Amino acid sequence: MGNATVNRVGTQLLLLATLLAVVRPAYAIPAFARKYGLPCSACHQAWPMLNNFGQTFKDNGYQLGNDRDAPIYQQPAYWPIMFRTTPNWHRESNDRVAVDKVSGQVSSGLLETTISPSGFDLSGLDIITAGTLSKNISFFVQPFIGASGGTSISQTWVRLDNLFGSQWLNVKMGKFELDEMISQERILTLNNTGAAYFNYFFTPPGDSNIFRGIGNTQLGVEVSGHSDNDYTRYSVSVLSSNDGQTGLPAGNTYDVYANFAQAVEIPKLGLQRVGVYGYFGQSPTFFQTNGGHPIPGAGIGNRSFYRAGAYGQWYVGKFDFQTFYLHGYDNVFLGNAVPANQPSLLPAGAAAPTWNGGFVEAHYTYNPRLIGIGRYELIRMSRQANPSIRSNSGNLDTWTIGYRWYPIMNPRAGLAWVQEFSRIVNAGTAPVSGKDDISNSFLMGLDFDF
Amino acid sequence: MRLRISFAMTIVFLLLSLTSLAQESHVGNLVGNAKKGKALYQRYCIFCHGEYGDGRGDSAPYLDPKPRDFTKATFKCRSTPSGTLPLDSDLYDTISRGVHASGMPSWKPLTRQDRVDLVAYIKGFSLRFQEEKPGAPVVIPPEPSTSPESVKRGAELFQSMNCWLCHGKEGRGNGPSASSLTDSKGNPITPFDLSSGSRFKCGESDQGLFRDLTTGIDGTPMPAFADALKPDQIWDVVHYIHTLRASNKSQRSQPQAEPKPE
Amino acid sequence: MQPKYILGVIAAALVLTLVTYVPAGAADAGAAGSLKGTAKIEGSTLKPSRIDMSSDPNCAKAHSSPATTEDVVIGANNGLANVIIYVADGLGDHTFEPPTQPAVIEQKGCQYKPHVLALQANQKLDVVNSDATTHNIHPLPTNNREWNRTQPHGLPIEESFAREEIAIPVKCNIHPWMHGYIAVFKHPYFAVTDKDGNFDLKDLPPGTYTIKAWQEKLGTQSQKITVGTGESKTVEFVFKAGS
Repeated sequence: MGNATVNRVGTQLLLLATLLAVVRPAYAIPAFARKYGLPCSACHQAWPMLNNFGQTFKDNGYQLGNDRDAPIYQQPAYWPIMFRTTPNWHRESNDRVAVDKVSGQVSSGLLETTISPSGFDLSGLDIITAGTLSKNISFFVQPFIGASGGTSISQTWVRLDNLFGSQWLNVKMGKFELDEMISQERILTLNNTGAAYFNYFFTPPGDSNIFRGIGNTQLGVEVSGHSDNDYTRYSVSVLSSNDGQTGLPAGNTYDVYANFAQAVEIPKLGLQRVGVYGYFGQSPTFFQTNGGHPIPGAGIGNRSFYRAGAYGQWYVGKFDFQTFYLHGYDNVFLGNAVPANQPSLLPAGAAAPTWNGGFVEAHYTYNPRLIGIGRYELIRMSRQANPSIRSNSGNLDTWTIGYRWYPIMNPRAGLAWVQEFSRIVNAGTAPVSGKDDISNSFLMGLDFDF
Repeated sequence: MRLRISFAMTIVFLLLSLTSLAQESHVGNLVGNAKKGKALYQRYCIFCHGEYGDGRGDSAPYLDPKPRDFTKATFKCRSTPSGTLPLDSDLYDTISRGVHASGMPSWKPLTRQDRVDLVAYIKGFSLRFQEEKPGAPVVIPPEPSTSPESVKRGAELFQSMNCWLCHGKEGRGNGPSASSLTDSKGNPITPFDLSSGSRFKCGESDQGLFRDLTTGIDGTPMPAFADALKPDQIWDVVHYIHTLRASNKSQRSQPQAEPKPE
Repeated sequence: MQPKYILGVIAAALVLTLVTYVPAGAADAGAAGSLKGTAKIEGSTLKPSRIDMSSDPNCAKAHSSPATTEDVVIGANNGLANVIIYVADGLGDHTFEPPTQPAVIEQKGCQYKPHVLALQANQKLDVVNSDATTHNIHPLPTNNREWNRTQPHGLPIEESFAREEIAIPVKCNIHPWMHGYIAVFKHPYFAVTDKDGNFDLKDLPPGTYTIKAWQEKLGTQSQKITVGTGESKTVEFVFKAGS
């Protein structure tokens, strides 16, 4: 760490200290806030992360249950739509990029060097429209527009809430985020390295599993329920084995995802929650073909996989911690990218790859308008798909630190100034030397929504 | 000398401020702390109830009914007589239950400690909580089962106590005086439509209805019947009110019990 | 500053406090004066309007000819009834015990009698319902506790107000035309004008006072009066209509 870095860190700390001195406590998805007159901080620990009140609102079908939920109570001009985007400045740095020894000359051979691009940039644009179609029928539609163009649908679903007058029975159908208390959709960091929980998207290198992780939105039906105060929650989903891709490109199998959580109030500390989850599915290993070309929707040779584990959310005064553990398993055919009808193609000593991973994320909520974030995440392969794969292939360690400061907080719109830094070590992936590959990302920008 | 006097003044001031900060609340075996309650208030409550607890938060102009003005210490939902301060548990219950047909949601997803802390902070908005003690809570006797005689007595009381002038002859909230009603801040207010069911502002149970009739709903035109009616008579009125419900053409034979505390 | 100097300052302060402190109610009773007078209205073409009491037959029955509004009641020689005349300033820091005799407000013919009542802080207030119908008595104070109680015929209700307030509107929600006022004073030097606007503030200790006159629609007027020992002064308050 040179002098320049020390100075920069020093300046950041000074800025942070100034912020701590001037932030006044708060009052301050604006579409929901506009509807009820509540500030963002009522439902969000620090948006987008939910607190228990907000989670309960969500589980109730975006309803407060105060007889003012149905759209008929709103002014006709109220329209439940919001957008969110983040113009930013960021710097990426990768320490072992293969480059031609002499620029432009392929024959000069490759060496590894550090490449560090930086500059101003845009994040994509999330558009969310969500709320109630009528009492006890909720909906969510989320198109996404990439910063360089290109649109997709992140989520579209309708949910029948509180069936038979009971909050224990709700049925959702469409494309939706899996029911995870520690949500990828509402992760607090945005930089290239730290904007995703790696455990939510990890598949071992060379694996042919269509399923790419519990962090992707999936297509299916979810049955869920919860207690009055959301201390007890359950959900069971049946999902197409498409990894959320529309157009029926894969086979005709279905996966099951289940989540169960229980919270308890510890005197003097706060709310503590533990949960267990599991995603159990099958993916096709080959397709029926026509003239040698695979026919979409005709995937066969299904082999199983699962991702399962436990998590916890711990509140201790102004601190809160999120702990997460995952155990992954992919069938040997998936792990070796071999069609199930050609077992002879399996290399000698082939096995089903398995891995363990997890993270700890800590927050310090100085007040509803200033939150500090720190995270450490790791993945360790416990068994590789075949002996020719080096034992640490796919392993990674990543750290993230950052903060979000909300200069305004009112029911109409939100704005956060963010600064964050993430560093990742990928084991043995350096292209020339086979050493560990280290990248880091630094981002600062204005995350805003209306 | 200046130093000594200012030191003495500081001690006095500190002692004074400590006594005013010593606002505590007690619900069950939980003790609430106003300082923690303040941080919670600023996260959850301030936008409707206002920075000074006077019900003039930024969202208040867009809400009907208006958020409670805590500075007056006049509360709708109490177990204490009209005009007296509520118990800590009354405020806790209102926070937990929410207020039906208003912008006040149920705050049950907050921990019990959080809610008790909020009660402690809210009490600090009015000096009355330092100067007065809460009233003696009403004793709710067990509900006798209904009977045609009880309903008939209740109907007569509904007439003679002039309930019908506001609530209407069929209880639908359309009595001759209904359109003139205003709450104590001068905002128009409508009497409860008794035919719509049991979603009363202060709770849905029969015990809650008995309590509302006994203590009145302060800040609104709904008076307290504690002096006017004996407990048996209030149960008669409750039984009569059951028969007003559109969903309940036949008389109810089972009393509706108070929901278990969470 | 020297320590003995401080002691002198403290001692002087104590002496001054003792000298200016006067025990409660120790007005110079032996040489009391009085203040008489009238409240009048000028240039008024205001006529009270009829009240429709048909929503409650028991109220309508009580009036052979329809009752009229009471917010501006004009008597003989343009005298204004229901004006509260009171001492606003000049009594110093005396405290006054409330009288043991209760003040009474009556609901009669579905109207408040008197329409404007003045009493002392912590003086008992008896609320009486002489009507053959149930009222609710609902004062709407800004400086006192708000309460709201049902009162069927004949049931006695007793209350009091702890703080000075001029004046507390009182209503019956059941009968929306019923309006009254209760003024609460820390001292006993107040009066309400009769139907012809006359008042008599007896037993006023000698001194210089700010006397105010309050009318529910026409606002407050103010005059400075000096009452000498045993002197009887007369004063007139004139309210302009539309003021």
